[in-house]
Amino acid sequence: MLPIIILLIGPFIAGLLSLVIRRSRLLHVINFSTMLALVGADTALTTQILSHGPIIALGALVYVDALSAFILFIIAAIGLSCSLYMWSYMDEQVARGVIAPKRLSVFFFLFHMFLLAMVAATIANSLGVQWVALEGTTLATTFLIAFFRRRESLEAGWKYLILCSVGIALALFGIVLTYYSSVRVLGDVSAALNMTSLIGVADRLDPHVLKLAFIFILIGYGTKVGLVPMHTWLPEAYSEAPAPVAAMLAGVLETVAVYAILRSKILVDQALPPEFSANLLVLFGFISFAVAAFFILIQHNYKRLFAYSSIEHMGLAMIGFGIGGVAGTFGALFHLLNHALAKALAFFTAGNIHRRFNTVEIDGVKGLAKAQPVTAVALMVAGCALVGLPPFSPFFSELLIVSSLAAQDFASDTIHAGRFITVTISDEVRSLGTVALLMLFALIAFGGFMYRIGAMVWGEPAEEGSVQPERWTPGHVSLIAMMAALIGLGFVLPEPLKLLLNQAVKVVLAR
Amino acid sequence: MSSMSPHAGSQLVDLCAVLLLLTCFAIVAQRRLSACVDLFALQSFFLAATAAIVAFLTGVHHIYIAAALTIVIKVFVIPRILKKVIERLNVSRELVMNVNIPAGLLICGALVIIAFFITQPIIPLGYLLTRDSLSIALAIVLIGFFTMIARKKAVTQMVGFLVMENGLFLGATAAAYGMPLIVELGVFFDVLVAGLIVGIYTHRLQDAFDSVDTSALTVLKE
Repeated sequence: MLPIIILLIGPFIAGLLSLVIRRSRLLHVINFSTMLALVGADTALTTQILSHGPIIALGALVYVDALSAFILFIIAAIGLSCSLYMWSYMDEQVARGVIAPKRLSVFFFLFHMFLLAMVAATIANSLGVQWVALEGTTLATTFLIAFFRRRESLEAGWKYLILCSVGIALALFGIVLTYYSSVRVLGDVSAALNMTSLIGVADRLDPHVLKLAFIFILIGYGTKVGLVPMHTWLPEAYSEAPAPVAAMLAGVLETVAVYAILRSKILVDQALPPEFSANLLVLFGFISFAVAAFFILIQHNYKRLFAYSSIEHMGLAMIGFGIGGVAGTFGALFHLLNHALAKALAFFTAGNIHRRFNTVEIDGVKGLAKAQPVTAVALMVAGCALVGLPPFSPFFSELLIVSSLAAQDFASDTIHAGRFITVTISDEVRSLGTVALLMLFALIAFGGFMYRIGAMVWGEPAEEGSVQPERWTPGHVSLIAMMAALIGLGFVLPEPLKLLLNQAVKVVLAR
Repeated sequence: MSSMSPHAGSQLVDLCAVLLLLTCFAIVAQRRLSACVDLFALQSFFLAATAAIVAFLTGVHHIYIAAALTIVIKVFVIPRILKKVIERLNVSRELVMNVNIPAGLLICGALVIIAFFITQPIIPLGYLLTRDSLSIALAIVLIGFFTMIARKKAVTQMVGFLVMENGLFLGATAAAYGMPLIVELGVFFDVLVAGLIVGIYTHRLQDAFDSVDTSALTVLKE
């Protein structure tokens, strides 16, 4: 009970405090301690869930099981490193005069409201409350994206607000349809949208209504995940947002949106044959993966590069969840964690690079290894992790997803073309063909990505005036910690995390 | 329970839903921004009336609260915010649109047909007195979505979004006597905050771009 109160009250109080406090050091301390409190609360919750099972609290308003605890872990871990990074980043922005000191309070207020909304979306029992929280994240982050108040930032923020709100409104229609079907079975009860009640009666819900509901929810929440073709807000929002905000959006918010889709999927899989949701997820995932890979090839702005990489990885996670089974789901969940780590690391390095080189163009950045050695190492690690190279942890999660795709039983297909020609595609060709196609796109993304990262890291930096060597800041602690995590998780998965993941897989597969 | 027969009750609710749909068409056909906002306020009033009728006929009392909130927030507060924005921006008419008005009206007609087509398998399954309104609700959502795409001014795009939310509220009331109260409250809160944010945003956009014509927002390209 207490951890849940901390999870909700902590960011709320921190946000209100941030509005009235002006001194930047105090603001950072509040932020950091809120994150620590989140980490502590999540650890307490995880130990309780692993030993006693899911928690229902606050009069069935809150439901936390292994899956929610895992997502909370991602929120807390990335948030903690983000608050360290923000310490140096925000102070530098204020020192340079990019933002007025009193706007720092507004920044932290919005940031804490953003955190509160994400936590609420993760632990809410009612699908409707989850929706309200996710729309809340859109509203909280709009001004965070446009924080620098440049023309391009305002444009990006406006597009983000409109597109995500439209998408989420479509998801609300899906939730209304879900409520429509559940009220038939449960009666007009205010608990009819609660996941705890819905799971019990899922097989009695109307399949037609749930089909339509899931399509709307997938399209709606898929807009926030960044699935193609609802992704158009993403590259601009991530390139215009301040680095820590982009890190939280790309790593954490997309994960929470995936979580919302998963909750609906769990429900729909009980009432409909699992192929329905599986096919939709794999379709959207594959299209996102392919389109993002091509766009990665033509990027000349490194923040947009990372943005398209987010779309690609979320597509891969969708494929993993669509394929299902223990391997696919485990791989996809693990991939959510790895992607969050790698993407946050990438955006932190982007912030450091921008600080030194003052441009977001890849061509404008050369010789990072000489100018900012630690950041250069971090960039290489992030880049190699994002393209899925060993020994970094994304390699293993991608391996799991791809091998589960290859092991998938596709029925063999027969196409009659004309009266005399019959083409039979055997099942092996279908599964291996799909994998081969996936590998092709992965290779395209790999090529584009590494070429650009290499161009930034090696070479000679252009010397302009007095150039300061890279100084150690609290932000570098985050960089090192995340690099260690990416490498460490590739070698060994800590026992509590493994237990949590296994439980979460069971929740998703509803066994 | 009321003394009206269920048949007459559901016809009354359907009448209100159709009035809502008509206001949607009126918004699509309007060039003057303040008239669009007024039509939206009218639509929200009809929406509140629909909700109140459903509450009266079925005796589910928390719908009255939702109806009251609709009147306060969507008939008074948000239209006032939008009118203030229009005053400040000094624009009154939208002359250039992505899709012109006659074509827009035809497309809206097609959207209504599509909405009925999509919800066709679901309608016979409902048993509540307002199940036909679900199709109209989806039609309103789609028309609101279309308005956001077809128009260029930020204020009209916001009105389109609000129309979508109205359609969703009608859907929730039609399908299941409104969602749980806490969800309804949350949705209202979100809509209100969204309205405030758009108000602040248009201010910033005006300062930065000297216009709130969103077709000027093409600086960011691939």
